[in-house]
Amino acid sequence: MISVTNLSKKIGDVQALNKLSFSAQDGHITGLLGPNGAGKTTCLRTLFGLLTPDEGYAEVDGINVAEKPIQAKQQLGLFPDPFGLYERLTPREYITYFAELSGMSRKEAKAATENVIEQLNLGDISNRRCKGFSQGQRMKTALAQAIVHQPTNIILDEPTRGLDVMSTRLLRDILIDLKSRGHCVLFSSHVMQEVAALCDHVIVMANGSVVATGSPDELCQQTGESSLEEAFIKLIGTDEGIAA
Amino acid sequence: MNKLIAMVRKELIDAARDKRSVMAGLYYAIGTPLIMCGMFMVLINQLTSPEDLNITINKAENAPDLVRYLSRKGINQADLAASPDADVKAITLTITEDYAANMAKAKPAEVIILADNSDEKLQNSIRRLQQELQTYSSEMGSLRLIARGINPQVMQSLKVDMQDQSTPDSKGGMILGIAIFTMIYSVFISAMNLAIDTSAGERERNSLALMLSHPISTRQLVLGKVIAVTLFALLGLVLILLISKIAYTFVPWQELGFSINISTDFMQLMFVIGIPVALLASTLQLFVSFMAKSFKEAQSYLTMVLFVPIALSMAASYNIAPDVLQWIPVSGQQQALMDFIKGKDIPMLQLAVSSTMTVVISIGLMLGMEKMLKSEKVVFGL
Amino acid sequence: MINRKFVSKSLASRLRHYALPPSATGTSRLAAVIISALFTSTSYASDAGQPQPLDTAEVKTHSCHLDGMSEQLQCGKISVPENPQQPDGKHIDIHFAILPAIKDTHPSEALLAIAGGPGQSAIEHAAGFDRLLNKVRQQRDILLIDQRGTGLSNILNCEDSEATSMLSFNDEGVDIIADTEKCLTQTDADITQYGSQTALTDFEAVRTYLGYQKLHLYGVSYGTRMAQLYMRHYPEALSTVTLDGVVPMQQSVVAIGSAIERGFELLMRDCASNAACHEQYPDLLNDFKTVDARLTKQPIKQSVRDPLTNEPSTLLMTRGKFNGAIRMGLYTPAIRALLPHAIHQAAKEDYQPILGIYALSADGIGLAMGMHASVVCGEDIHRISDQMRKDAKESYISSTMMEGLEKTCEIWKVPPVADSFSEPISSDLPTLLLSGELDPATPPNWGALAAKNLTNAKHLISPFATHGVAAQTCANDLIADLVDSASIKKIDASCLEKDIRRSFYLNANSVEPVIATDANIPASADEATSTDNATGTDKE
Repeated sequence: MISVTNLSKKIGDVQALNKLSFSAQDGHITGLLGPNGAGKTTCLRTLFGLLTPDEGYAEVDGINVAEKPIQAKQQLGLFPDPFGLYERLTPREYITYFAELSGMSRKEAKAATENVIEQLNLGDISNRRCKGFSQGQRMKTALAQAIVHQPTNIILDEPTRGLDVMSTRLLRDILIDLKSRGHCVLFSSHVMQEVAALCDHVIVMANGSVVATGSPDELCQQTGESSLEEAFIKLIGTDEGIAA
Repeated sequence: MNKLIAMVRKELIDAARDKRSVMAGLYYAIGTPLIMCGMFMVLINQLTSPEDLNITINKAENAPDLVRYLSRKGINQADLAASPDADVKAITLTITEDYAANMAKAKPAEVIILADNSDEKLQNSIRRLQQELQTYSSEMGSLRLIARGINPQVMQSLKVDMQDQSTPDSKGGMILGIAIFTMIYSVFISAMNLAIDTSAGERERNSLALMLSHPISTRQLVLGKVIAVTLFALLGLVLILLISKIAYTFVPWQELGFSINISTDFMQLMFVIGIPVALLASTLQLFVSFMAKSFKEAQSYLTMVLFVPIALSMAASYNIAPDVLQWIPVSGQQQALMDFIKGKDIPMLQLAVSSTMTVVISIGLMLGMEKMLKSEKVVFGL
Repeated sequence: MINRKFVSKSLASRLRHYALPPSATGTSRLAAVIISALFTSTSYASDAGQPQPLDTAEVKTHSCHLDGMSEQLQCGKISVPENPQQPDGKHIDIHFAILPAIKDTHPSEALLAIAGGPGQSAIEHAAGFDRLLNKVRQQRDILLIDQRGTGLSNILNCEDSEATSMLSFNDEGVDIIADTEKCLTQTDADITQYGSQTALTDFEAVRTYLGYQKLHLYGVSYGTRMAQLYMRHYPEALSTVTLDGVVPMQQSVVAIGSAIERGFELLMRDCASNAACHEQYPDLLNDFKTVDARLTKQPIKQSVRDPLTNEPSTLLMTRGKFNGAIRMGLYTPAIRALLPHAIHQAAKEDYQPILGIYALSADGIGLAMGMHASVVCGEDIHRISDQMRKDAKESYISSTMMEGLEKTCEIWKVPPVADSFSEPISSDLPTLLLSGELDPATPPNWGALAAKNLTNAKHLISPFATHGVAAQTCANDLIADLVDSASIKKIDASCLEKDIRRSFYLNANSVEPVIATDANIPASADEATSTDNATGTDKE
């Protein structure tokens, strides 16, 4: 479970987060939806302790990130945007490395890597260096890195950006699978369809604050609009930065 | 600990596969001694007078005894008819027409050397010719005295005995200074690309934030990188030591009257002393690279920053260096190494002080980096 | 006896050597000694070259400076029993010096250079050996050992008690027996323990002490005898051997008389066959005979200036001094060139040039006369044959020398070595033998004699060298080749053919003839004839 309470953060002159509060439950896929510049990435970085909030706090499984960053991060898996692959390492080395950074012993890390390679069908590319990988292969490698240590919470930053249809579908299947196994999945996106298709719970952000929460249906009801798209535009006051 | 090992391992694998780092660091370590030795070989060859020095002698028939004497000393009348390819130096010795007449009257008999004394390649040969003529002249003077019933010893009113305190190793001090300088430089150069790649480069590739998103402390991250870069720097050092040991034996140092020998003892000492230097090289370069916003920027910063330790090392390789350099990092170690190779006692106190300072500075830089990496500006390059 | 400096003698370097402080008195008589007696007086070997030991008990060597060399060298010593049969008896120190290799690529090897005499100190001649063996030293240490009884190694010497003027003393009136007896009472050494074979065990002890696995030998003059003994007794310790100015084992050094005669005849021949010399001194042999006869009749007394101090002095020119000066002059090419002029002037009753030459060696020639006697009386005197005695009668020099030696050895009693000592050396070690055609001490046929049973040897004869070929010719390069390749196969002796003769002095100033008209007549045209049959390779 992930929860943020009353988060505020100013970056330069911009109030990136403004008393932001929400929570994402285990066994659910929670979407963080907002236009570009709404503060989604800042929010996620705060969750990982990379940014220190000016006010408020973030918790992972009830552990305060600012107070016990190591323990809190132990429970997190990150699918970053951009992926941050090491071009000169193979997916196998890459995944094992991050598994070790997440606290596994080398032996455990190797075993976990084998599992996740199988799970994501990475076998054919697992011993090739990442340089020259397609976007789909990169995505899978990054995802494998995020889930290799079986964290309860998995955070994805704009996971579908740049993916082709097949890859997007694959990602969707994996997320649903994770959800079914009781993980807490939180992802940020500015693509409505994706959110509509996947999420149990949507958090709509604009200007650093939550403007609405609920399931896609609930959101439609709240706004009295029949389509999600119209609902969003209404919620955030503009269609700028939202992709259909 | 486990995480640290994983990090170091990853950095080393990554670095080893990075042709740019490997090339820059290790080509230097391998290339420098080879180039230096090649240069010295050419230089020694050109500067020393050839064993058989062929010159042009005009009017040789006026002084056959002198010409035979010179040829006994390896200074020959060039015979282009017999061997047209012979290497004839641009030195002409002319024996004057009245040589024999003056000689018979015990007047100075004149010979003329025609040569360009500013030509470095000729200087040794010219000096050699002058010396042999001088020896011939004094020998003949002695014989003239003997013929007059006088012991030629009367001409030697002073007997000057020079008791040179230098050792064969100290005679090569200058060259050894340069050799040690290249080794210390190699420590820095070997570390440079990896230091940039693993800091500014890592950030540019977005993996720095990813790493920090994992349950590791910034201290672990800094340590991991420092260890990896230090190891790489030491690898460069080991390589240059090994290559130097082999390459230096091929240079005919004996032509210069001394030998340059990279002994196993020296290699061990250099390695031990090199450890804190490598630590400094890696922390300094990592620190600067983390401060830079991009890979390119890091490169240009480093070029400027590296000037300081390099200048220290270079200054210490000359004897004119002020004494204070003995106490300063890098130059202190360089001086200790030079003293060792010259067979003097190693100034232990100075070495201890400079090495301690080196380590202290390195730790300071590490703490600085640890603090830096907590700043979002540094992590995201804002 | 072969007492001549062997080291490269451009005169300048000789002068440096003569600058060693001679003992204050008496050394003058030595020149006469060379001919008339083995020793009556000597110079005390200088301690100018004495290394100043540092107190390093554990270290085998300490750094030191030797005369004429500015760089730091390594010196050391070992203690050995004076009499090897009595290991607990009196001990003496054997000193050695190492000229370290410039680039020590063969740390387990060294070249041992053995000095002549007998009686010369090797360490004293470090500078000369350094010049001579410069190329060998590029890669290997040069080891110099003061043989027991010489130099720093318990020198056996005799000092004159009274001052004698070298100019006025009469060398023909020296009481050899009395002088020898006096010398014997001065020493507390066991004079029977200073022969070559005992000294050889010292050499071998120094080698093992320093840990050299293989030695290259360079022996010159009497040093060739030591080198041959080394080949006989410790061949496994040797890599290559160079014998320069060879004294074969079969030969008693007392037989040197005929070599001196031969050297003199070659001088006469060379002058006669040289156009300029012949023109200037058309009757040189007669000139010599004139002086010799004149002096035989009666020594000549003249007022002269002392050659060194310029003090007005009286010169007593005797037959011995005259012959001795000529003999000494024959050793060194530069001085040999002055001999025709000196003889010619003496015939004209001008003894200044002869005085000048005589004065050179009057300072002493640096021999430890006691050790010299121990060697000659034990190893050579009993080998004088009737034929030698008969030959010696023909020659003034030979006969006076033999007579002097026999008197000396009557007092200086050393048991003769076994007959096997005189057997030729059989060896397959790579060996280079060097002889100088003009050598007035060890003629080329001696080299051939020594090479008789050497199966892996090359005997080279330089047509222009006197005694000590390596110092006068390119032969020192050949030694370096031998040491490097450990084989005689690759030695290219063609450089020995290079004409390096010194022209004869035509007056007190010049060697070059003043040619009035046509300068194109090659002065060397006739000279060439004298060089036929010169270089030879007796044996491969």
